[in-house]
Amino acid sequence: MTAVTEAPPASTPETAPPRHTGRLAGLLGALAPRARLLGIVGGVVAILGSQLPWATFVLNQGAYPELATLPFGFTGFRLHLVILGLATIVVAAVRVPAANRIVRNLGIGIVAVAVINGLYITVEGGGLGAITAADGAVAFGSVVALIGGVLAILGSAAGGVEPRPELDWNLPLWVEWLLLVVIFVLMLLVVAAALTSGGQGGVVNPYSGAVFLSFLGAAGGAFAGLNASGLLGYVATLSERHRVFSVIVLLIVALGLPLTSAGTEYWMTVASNIGVYAATAIGLNIVVGLAGLLDLGYVAFLGIGAFVAANLSGATASAVGIHLPFVLVMVISAVVAGIFGAIVGSPTLRVRGDYLAIVTLAFGEIFVRSAQNNIGGLTGGANAIPNIPAVAVGDFRFNESITIGSVQLPSGVMYYVLIVLLVAGVMLVFGNLKNSRLGRAWIAIREDEDAASAMGIRTGPIKILAFLLGATLAGLAGAFFAHKTGVVAYDSFRFLESVTLLSAVILGGMGTIPGAVLGASILFVLPEKLREFSDYRLLIFGLALVLIMRFRPQGIVADKHRRAELAEEPEDAAKEAPGPLPTRVEP
Amino acid sequence: MSEEQATSPDDKVGTATGEELPPELQAPPEEVVAVLAEDMHVATGTREPILQSSGVSMVFGGLRALNDVTFSLGEGEIIGLIGPNGAGKTTFFNCLTGLYSPTSGQVTLRGKAMPKDPARVTQAGVARTFQNIRLFPSMTAMENVLVGRHVRMKQGPLSSLLHGPRFRKSEAEAHDRAEKLLAFVGLGRFSDELARNLPYGDQRRLEIARALATDPSVLLLDEPTAGMNAQETEATRQLIFAIRDLGVSVVVIEHDTKFIFTLCDRVLVLVQGELLVEGSPDEVRGDPRVVEAYLGAPPEEIEAQIHAGATTGSGTGGSGLQEGSTG
Ligand SMILES: Nc1ncnc2c1ncn2[C@@H]1O[C@H](COP(=O)(O)OP(=O)(O)O)[C@@H](O)[C@H]1O
Ligand SMILES: [Mg+2]
Repeated sequence: MTAVTEAPPASTPETAPPRHTGRLAGLLGALAPRARLLGIVGGVVAILGSQLPWATFVLNQGAYPELATLPFGFTGFRLHLVILGLATIVVAAVRVPAANRIVRNLGIGIVAVAVINGLYITVEGGGLGAITAADGAVAFGSVVALIGGVLAILGSAAGGVEPRPELDWNLPLWVEWLLLVVIFVLMLLVVAAALTSGGQGGVVNPYSGAVFLSFLGAAGGAFAGLNASGLLGYVATLSERHRVFSVIVLLIVALGLPLTSAGTEYWMTVASNIGVYAATAIGLNIVVGLAGLLDLGYVAFLGIGAFVAANLSGATASAVGIHLPFVLVMVISAVVAGIFGAIVGSPTLRVRGDYLAIVTLAFGEIFVRSAQNNIGGLTGGANAIPNIPAVAVGDFRFNESITIGSVQLPSGVMYYVLIVLLVAGVMLVFGNLKNSRLGRAWIAIREDEDAASAMGIRTGPIKILAFLLGATLAGLAGAFFAHKTGVVAYDSFRFLESVTLLSAVILGGMGTIPGAVLGASILFVLPEKLREFSDYRLLIFGLALVLIMRFRPQGIVADKHRRAELAEEPEDAAKEAPGPLPTRVEP
Repeated sequence: MSEEQATSPDDKVGTATGEELPPELQAPPEEVVAVLAEDMHVATGTREPILQSSGVSMVFGGLRALNDVTFSLGEGEIIGLIGPNGAGKTTFFNCLTGLYSPTSGQVTLRGKAMPKDPARVTQAGVARTFQNIRLFPSMTAMENVLVGRHVRMKQGPLSSLLHGPRFRKSEAEAHDRAEKLLAFVGLGRFSDELARNLPYGDQRRLEIARALATDPSVLLLDEPTAGMNAQETEATRQLIFAIRDLGVSVVVIEHDTKFIFTLCDRVLVLVQGELLVEGSPDEVRGDPRVVEAYLGAPPEEIEAQIHAGATTGSGTGGSGLQEGSTG
């Protein structure tokens, strides 16, 4: 473990000589002198591909987006390909730092767009004829674009993928602030574009799922390219440097979503649902990510919060016929969920690991069955609890639209504002706890429970506290959920939901806040967006999880601790070392 | 954790002679020791018995790992615990710290019964390190030591949540102490390094810093120099003297007899769960039973080893204490 190697100083990123093994070795070796050219050619070919026809005939459900049967077009996925292709050409030609790394990632984006659209047209069109040649028509767009992407990737591999550079410039404070604002606004626009790409699905646009996936592929490639250039790392450094400023700007920017293309009632509802699951996932992140306790029945706490709120909301179907103010309802829901959290957590005093997971699984199942059987008349059973009145302040009801001056904001915008604030609050709670005596105790327990107790940590109560606080946050989210959707049914809190939440935490990055939010967004937008693939939904979902776990086991947003633990590439470990230190890298 | 892992670039043979040591291997700087001693304000050198065990036995199924062990540690004392592998040394530490509850017998701390669970034992002022390093591998060196401050920090869950002025005060205090402790064990430069990335010897030192962070009055060290080279072992010896000078009483398990005989005021020899011999290093090294049962080598060879150890000299104030402890 202690082989000590001197890493090169961070400021002079070494250009790793390409290590080519296996059968590809000869090919890549031979291509090495042509690496740059390959990148440029790959970009050109991708652009060429984007301008060829993509389908030989019109699909059954109507014209495939971007007039795929015709040549030329600068919209939709074609535009994405042109942008990715141009970026590839420029990067390969200008040789910016880490050019090969950037080209590789852009190439992966090109391949993703080509494969997603090509595969879709093939499957829908009933064979390869749809994307090659049939009935006298030729449409090699996807094939050509795919070749372009592969060429770019080959070129970057031949040239040798460099470590990610660490950028930092000495800019005046106001420039750094301005940069952050611009970047966050851009992020908002990308989020809005991602949400709305392909439209609402189903009736409006039969191909919305494919369009959305293609957008994700293109955006993923672009992001990976930016990340490879070190720019995203720079943004992270900047936002870390101006933490309070970033948080405030992010909050304001998030509140700006209703003003973008996503400012319709439908997307406000989707965004609110994402918020509910993001808040819940952050709560689960305390239990799983920080304290390292596996909870397979966690969604039950969301359910408990929702049912408590439903019963106190004045809904006609509720057994408790009282109507309390929303704020009070939230507090009560959180407290009740927290109490159940402590009860479910109490077996941690005796059981560890797998056994604890089984206990939590059983609890989740007990909850769903009880709710299904309308236990104590509190859950409405199969009839659910419908007609939960909307949150109201005075005469204004949160599900109405509002008009400020000449701007009309969509209905549900107030719920959106509320959930943004709620998620921000939950993030604050998580962040504060993580960087405190309690948070360190949780992490210590996760790392080595015996050593933690030898350090004086009373592991029992501290673990129960993790369950309690996690459940409290889920309870809060549940109270919001009940009022927003207006109906609470046992159906929404099944085992699959717990698994999805757990996946969100692991996918996004264990123990990190942006990770949980990102994971929740992806996992709860996907089903919404992929309705037309409902037969394959779980398959796509599972495939995405497997791919991410294979290529990025630390999750999309890595915790600084986990990053070092799981990093495959040595430069990630090298990043951890403070400047002048000799970096120690595990062999 | 095998032998070859101890090999690091600064691993040069024959270093004891006047070479400049790397900072982490030098004895803790006097200023650091002075401020730490003030911070920890532990009582010094009265020789009152502080940690005692009487008739402690531990039985695992049919195996009697400890048989009727009675011992007493005085304040400001350094006791060495030696014995062949499997003699029950680690088991004895586990019984003292509440990890095992002894089959029979009592453990007392300042005359009061020792609490039964490890967390409370630490709270009461007994800290330990482990034979197989048990750091929190993906926390930084600083965070590891901060976890050690857990029992002494005045910061409830609510304060952890709200980050008010009291929170900031307690965090600042804890960070301050942790920094001093890292400097004390020679790891000041490594405070942001993940524990898993530290070399073996540094990990052992970090474990000591983490244990010291609990403000112990008794420190139990389980093979603190295992896998270290001669230079690092010597540095550890100096470190233990410095810890004693902070007013912490120490029990050390070690195989290296030269190390033990030049470090300890008193040495206990444990063989097959029984205390075979107890006395000053001089008495123990001359005892034929020890030679036979533990060392298993002809006496001349051991003599040679011991003389070699004696010439290296004992550290700060070590020899003065050795005289008082005979018997
Ligand atoms: N938890 C346990 N269960 C069963 N046997 C144990 C346990 N812990 C230690 N032993 C046994 O007790 C004996 C003493 O072990 P130990 O205290 O580790 O020896 P030492 O530290 O002196 O090398 C060994 O025979 C060991 O196998
Ligand atoms: Mg042992």
